[in-house]
Amino acid sequence: MTGTRSFSGTRLVAAAAAYLVTFLILLPLLWIVLLSLQPSGNILSNPFSFDSLTLQNYVNAITSLPLLQMYGNTILIALVSVTVGAAVSFMAAFAFTRMVFRRKRVQSSMRLYVLAGLAVPVYILLFPVYRLDLALGVFGTYAALILPYIAVSIPFNTLLLTGFLREFPAELEEAAIIDGAGLWRLCWSVVLPLMRPVIATILIFNVVYVFNEFPFASILINNPQMVTVSLAVSRFQGQFTVDYGGMMASATLVLLPQLIIYAIFQRQVIAGLTVGAVKG
Amino acid sequence: MVWISSRWKIVVMVGPALILFSVFVVYPVVYSMGFSLTKFQGFGTPEFIGFKNYLALADDPFFWQSLQNTIIILVVSIVLLVPLSFGLALLLRRKIPGGAGMRALVFGPAIIAPILIGLIWVFILDPKIGLINRLLAGIGIPPVQWIGGDILTPYAVSAVFIWSSIGFAMTIFYAGLQVLPEDVMEASSLDGATGWQQLRYVTVPMMRETFAIVAILLITNVFKIFELVYMLTGGGPVHRSDTLVSYMYFVTFTNQQYGSGMAIAVIVTVLSAIVSIGYLVLSRERKIA
Repeated sequence: MTGTRSFSGTRLVAAAAAYLVTFLILLPLLWIVLLSLQPSGNILSNPFSFDSLTLQNYVNAITSLPLLQMYGNTILIALVSVTVGAAVSFMAAFAFTRMVFRRKRVQSSMRLYVLAGLAVPVYILLFPVYRLDLALGVFGTYAALILPYIAVSIPFNTLLLTGFLREFPAELEEAAIIDGAGLWRLCWSVVLPLMRPVIATILIFNVVYVFNEFPFASILINNPQMVTVSLAVSRFQGQFTVDYGGMMASATLVLLPQLIIYAIFQRQVIAGLTVGAVKG
Repeated sequence: MVWISSRWKIVVMVGPALILFSVFVVYPVVYSMGFSLTKFQGFGTPEFIGFKNYLALADDPFFWQSLQNTIIILVVSIVLLVPLSFGLALLLRRKIPGGAGMRALVFGPAIIAPILIGLIWVFILDPKIGLINRLLAGIGIPPVQWIGGDILTPYAVSAVFIWSSIGFAMTIFYAGLQVLPEDVMEASSLDGATGWQQLRYVTVPMMRETFAIVAILLITNVFKIFELVYMLTGGGPVHRSDTLVSYMYFVTFTNQQYGSGMAIAVIVTVLSAIVSIGYLVLSRERKIA
């Protein structure tokens, strides 16, 4: 009998510990939400009070933030860069694994050349890309940000796509060719549908990256009409100065949609962000 | 599949990726390396000065301070994060009501924008308005200058980094634990191994590779910490809390000392490239590259 009791005892301790840790991890977010609901007088004097919670800060935040513009800009940039990034990486990965080069060494060195990009931190690219955008005349347009976002996504996309294609037998594709499919039909109607899971992973990984990206955006966007969500958040402190309630309501307004989308696609998002580490 | 492999088809397929990658990744790296050997302030022609920028960094106390801060964050984060996240994975592997939900919640911070994490933690760590000092005041402890003081900021940045990464690291450990061969675990239980012995002599040794992967991923992520410092202290007071990357950003874009900014960027790149190559070698062994 003692055995059963100590078993359920450790189980209880484990459960309690797990709930405590989870609560501690959520605590900062709960604190932000609590502050966002406090009337401004309470934030400095009595932030833990639950007596006079109000939505006034949200009204202030919604009226003073260009929410539609922030999200519009970010979604536009994410859509274009992630789609194009996935498309060009897919084409290259297909060529690296399926097409027959006259010299095989050219093929494998091209692949390694792209994969070497995995070792490049974006910080070394910031200033040169800024100069490049100026030189190409795209500075001040969405392309200023879209082009580097596409480029930095190519190495990781290629890593995952070539990894998938190499493990995947080419027989189906050969059959399709014998049936008369050309390159375009082969990629679009045979290979891509088979690769849906890995493509989904890539899209999620890159969308999260673009949504959260700050260093490039802070340098390549100088037009207030074109600010992304991250860029807008970086300016909250200057914009709201001591209106902490307004600042926290704004932070919550950015946080909430992210968390809701995460709650819906939780499994895919977790898989997408850890794929490089747990696959294999 | 030779039928679909005419030369122009190959060019069309690899061309876009190779051009974009070359123009916006490879060329900038070469450009930065070149600029790190020049004196350039944004106008006129860059003047070639050899390795003078690198030598000047050796005499720059702020550079050493930011290197030291980066190392503090690296050591504190890794030493605490690896065991904590592994422990959390072991904990959440038990059958606990709501376990799956908790795993998702704990992972949550990994998807929040670093810039937003920085803003959130200002309201936890700030000496005047932050949650921690409020709670400490409640039990009569005088306020501590977690950020913006002389000493504590890098440790505070480590704490925030730990918060944002623990769920990510836990998830990788959790996945590693799931694929441990069932029969080995059963055999060791039948042989009478206690829980601790099993952990010490079976589980941990079998997960050596996962530990290495987690450590390397965390190290490369520490080198990328920028937004946290930017939001928490802006690197101040007088660069006391800068990391290599935030100091590089300051030297390049605020001071417009492009040559020495690029020299710092090259140093950061070399440091993190060494780590990344380690990662690639490891993952190649696991046949994913």
